[in-house]
Amino acid sequence: MIRMPRVVVWAALLLGWEVFARLTADGFVIAAPTEIAQYVWRNTGLLWRATGVTGWVALQGFVWGNLAGVMLALAAVLIPRAERGLLTLALLAFCLPLVATGPILRVLYGPGQGPQVTLAALSVVYTTFLSVLVGLRAVPQSWLDLARSYGRGPVTLLALVRLPAALPYLVAGLQIAAPAAFLGAMVGEFTGAERGLGVLTVRALRGLDLPATWAVALLAAALSMAAFAGIGALGRRLSLAPPEILLAAPDDARGRAGASIQGIAAVAVALAVWQGAMDAFDLPRFFARRPGDVWDYLVTAPEAGAHRANLLAALGETLTVALPGYGAGLLLGAGLAALLTLAPPLAALVLPVSVALRSIPIIATAPLIVWALGRGAAGSITVVAVMIFFPTLVACLHGLARAPRPLMDLFDSYDAGPLRRLWGVQLPAMLPAFFASARMAVPAAILAVTTAEWLATGRGIGALMATVASTSDYAMLWSAIAVIGLAALATHAGVAALERAVLRRTSPEQLAG
Amino acid sequence: MTPTTPIRREALTPTRREALVLGAAALLTPRLARAATPATLQLSWLHSVQFAGSYIAQSRGYWGDAGLDVTLLPGGPNAPVEPPVVAGTALVGISAADYTAAAVNQGAPFRIIGVAMQKNPFAIASLAANPVADPRDLIGRRIGMALANMPVLEALCALNDVDIAGIEVVPTQYDAAPLVQGQVDCLLCWATDLPVAMRMQGIDSTVMLLADHGYAVHSQTYIATQDSLANRRADLVALMKGEIRGWGDYHAGPEAAANLTVQMFPDAGLDLETQKLQAERQVPLMFSDLTDAQGFGWFTDDTVAANIETLALLGKPVSADLWDRSILEEVYGAG
Amino acid sequence: MTDPRALRLEGVAKRFGDGAGAIQAVAPCDVAIARGTTTALVGPSGCGKSTLLRMIAGLEAPTDGGILFGGETPDTLRRRAGLAMAFQDAALLPWLRLRGNVALGRKLARRVPDAAADDALIRLVGLAGFERRRPAELSGGMRQRAAIARALAGDPDLLLLDEPFGAVDELTRERLNAELAPLWDARGTTTLLVTHSVIEAVRLSDRVLVFSPRPARVVADIAVPLARPRHSSAALADLCEAVRAALRG
Repeated sequence: MIRMPRVVVWAALLLGWEVFARLTADGFVIAAPTEIAQYVWRNTGLLWRATGVTGWVALQGFVWGNLAGVMLALAAVLIPRAERGLLTLALLAFCLPLVATGPILRVLYGPGQGPQVTLAALSVVYTTFLSVLVGLRAVPQSWLDLARSYGRGPVTLLALVRLPAALPYLVAGLQIAAPAAFLGAMVGEFTGAERGLGVLTVRALRGLDLPATWAVALLAAALSMAAFAGIGALGRRLSLAPPEILLAAPDDARGRAGASIQGIAAVAVALAVWQGAMDAFDLPRFFARRPGDVWDYLVTAPEAGAHRANLLAALGETLTVALPGYGAGLLLGAGLAALLTLAPPLAALVLPVSVALRSIPIIATAPLIVWALGRGAAGSITVVAVMIFFPTLVACLHGLARAPRPLMDLFDSYDAGPLRRLWGVQLPAMLPAFFASARMAVPAAILAVTTAEWLATGRGIGALMATVASTSDYAMLWSAIAVIGLAALATHAGVAALERAVLRRTSPEQLAG
Repeated sequence: MTPTTPIRREALTPTRREALVLGAAALLTPRLARAATPATLQLSWLHSVQFAGSYIAQSRGYWGDAGLDVTLLPGGPNAPVEPPVVAGTALVGISAADYTAAAVNQGAPFRIIGVAMQKNPFAIASLAANPVADPRDLIGRRIGMALANMPVLEALCALNDVDIAGIEVVPTQYDAAPLVQGQVDCLLCWATDLPVAMRMQGIDSTVMLLADHGYAVHSQTYIATQDSLANRRADLVALMKGEIRGWGDYHAGPEAAANLTVQMFPDAGLDLETQKLQAERQVPLMFSDLTDAQGFGWFTDDTVAANIETLALLGKPVSADLWDRSILEEVYGAG
Repeated sequence: MTDPRALRLEGVAKRFGDGAGAIQAVAPCDVAIARGTTTALVGPSGCGKSTLLRMIAGLEAPTDGGILFGGETPDTLRRRAGLAMAFQDAALLPWLRLRGNVALGRKLARRVPDAAADDALIRLVGLAGFERRRPAELSGGMRQRAAIARALAGDPDLLLLDEPFGAVDELTRERLNAELAPLWDARGTTTLLVTHSVIEAVRLSDRVLVFSPRPARVVADIAVPLARPRHSSAALADLCEAVRAALRG
């Protein structure tokens, strides 16, 4: 009897969906639940096998990518001097557009699942790296003093203190990574695969087969939700209590001049890796242009001026969409996190939808968004916001849960009410996670906007890259990649500067770098 | 073109990259040792009846007969054909004259050694109720297409004296939804995919083939590097021999070819009826009086000259050197 | 007081920042503390006595002067786990149970694990029965007692306690005072204790150093020549009054 209302609600939702789908059938946008069920029923074997293939690829990518992310974070904490370099490299690797990496990976691996696994792994490294790095630093001064007072070095500190302290943040990172790995595996299949959910998606979209499109999308979403929930449950089983004390600043803050020298060094390292990796694998210059080729193309070639003008015009168009979308996505993520803190029951609705939006390839969701919002700026900004709000939401939720208990108790003791408590305790506690997600979102926003431009608006640097890739104009493609990388670094530096200014007052322990 | 555009430094000795690739490939796909020479054919899209001739060649052992062990590498939305062929991962790629011309202009050492689609499959599809049956019908209409294909529309307009300014171009994703939703009046697409999909959904469309309006661009062309032409001639001949036999069988029974495709790739999500219709619709693009007379894949100086003209309109100037008929001549001479 | 084994502070001073904005936290300070004794440091809040303790622990470098314990610098002492510190905020690791937190002291000090000894320490600080609780499930005072047990677990030569009983209730505090002092007397541990409580300072220690407001400077050095256990007595009350007088300046 108690369960009745929920059943009724679900039935009503399904019925509404069915009716709406039937009414808009001419639009070929929304599949009805009955059609989807019918498709699933008829193609159970096919879907099962495709899920197995893509799921296995996603799992491998998830494991390797998270392992790499954790290793990078450990290296950054153990060798603070290397941190900026590692961050830069990870950021740039995350920014690499699929049009550039896809063909290269396919050439490197040949047939098989290598490229898919690599792309799935690449799509999680950066977010996990940042999450774990924040966690490794989220350690109060007295814990550091404790280890130091026994004369123990950074390795012991890492093993006994920092790593366990970082576990909740790792859980958040893994939750963000689960749908991303799945999406990476599906998109990886676009580089030439025989089977999998990504293959089925492309096939269904081209075949105007709405039930198939929706069935695959829902399947991908359901699996990602299951992974998300599973990791969350695991985290709760580990009973990760919030810290009992406020976090404090380390005593070895370094100067800003050192930081900018590190930044320049990191860019130099990135260029060396670019050149070195391509040389090591002896990749043909035809499609694997080196830094020197890009320099020629943009600076010393006779038509360099025209090349630059083309590229910068496209970049300008892209930024006018990317920046509002970025802001909207961050606000949406943080706002939803705050809302869920005030009204926890909403989580049952908001989280699954969020995970779903993050795990369905944008080529499947973009038509829906374009249909609803049109091909103008609103549609593209929405695509960007949809792509980046999820990591922000998850990171902020975990950040909010990190609010120190004594302070919460203090506010409660004054009967301060949830809003004042949110403002006074939880939001400040959330800030490190928020800024970490703001930094995570920089490359994600760039990827999202370039994809939207490629699929929907046909403007900006995304469309430019698609065009030049199809005409083998790889000099322009790599120039675009370089410019995107620089834009990402600049945005990242801007966010980091803001972060420093704010956290210096709220969470000084995060400023070790 | 000058005969040498040295992109590969060491053509004959295995390079470091190849060694690494072989290592990676060995880890990922352990293969049995075979006597036949291995070769890879890079397809231009996901598996479908579009490449059924190759599937026939493989399943009936036509390549094995010629001493070749061919791996078919599927393409995809993000799998350009040119890089693996330049890199030597694939011996032959399925491209199109316009893509090949662009790549050659960027320094790729390609030659077209055979032409599967004599007529270019690019078409303008519109709803039967609001048809675009002639290039002049485009005036005042909204056309949905990838902006990357602007040169195609420009060439069509130039060939037919249509003022392109009168056409509203809407950048869209490559699927039929924008047309059936009424966001656009017509689509620039292949005659063999989106119109087939619409037909299967019960939507009638008018398909205007660009090739019927002066747009002469060889499609589904076989490309290989000059290096392969010099050093792996026997393999290229064997590969084309199998292709020609396979496509010959296809011509005799497109429906059987569709059946085979669906059987060979049960995980590709192919619908048999869709594949049959596509198989039927691509026959007139691939087989003509010319192929009846000279054989599948053939091209003449005249068709090449027509291609050079259209490619010039597309902003991809090439010379006749791009086409190399020596492999086909060897196949048919010996056959 | 020329025992080479003593804890010797020579001209130790600490300044934070430099130039006009510099803050002198600890004025140059010369103190020698005999081995095996217990010394209480008392002074007004924020006077710099905790900073002095952190310098002795080697957690902060003095701006001037030097510190030696038995001829060793704080850094060498730390490296051989010769000292242990109990922090004001207890600094228990929230993911470890009480037993794990106490065992951590032994682990950090590179001593052989000894569960029986850990349990004995837990009993000593009055937490028997709470071994499997996590810090979040303990009261503030219990956590501080756990931190003391952890500090003792490493069997240090020099024990530094930073307001260890701040959150401990009065009765428990008296009991602890009575039980802990003999313990470190028996072990020969040299103990330094920062406290706000005058009565505690006098009950626990052999000597009370009274500090001035910042910058910290020793304004009184009061020996406590009383036998243990120290119950309330006129002598004790007199000593307390002497310390209070020094604090008032």
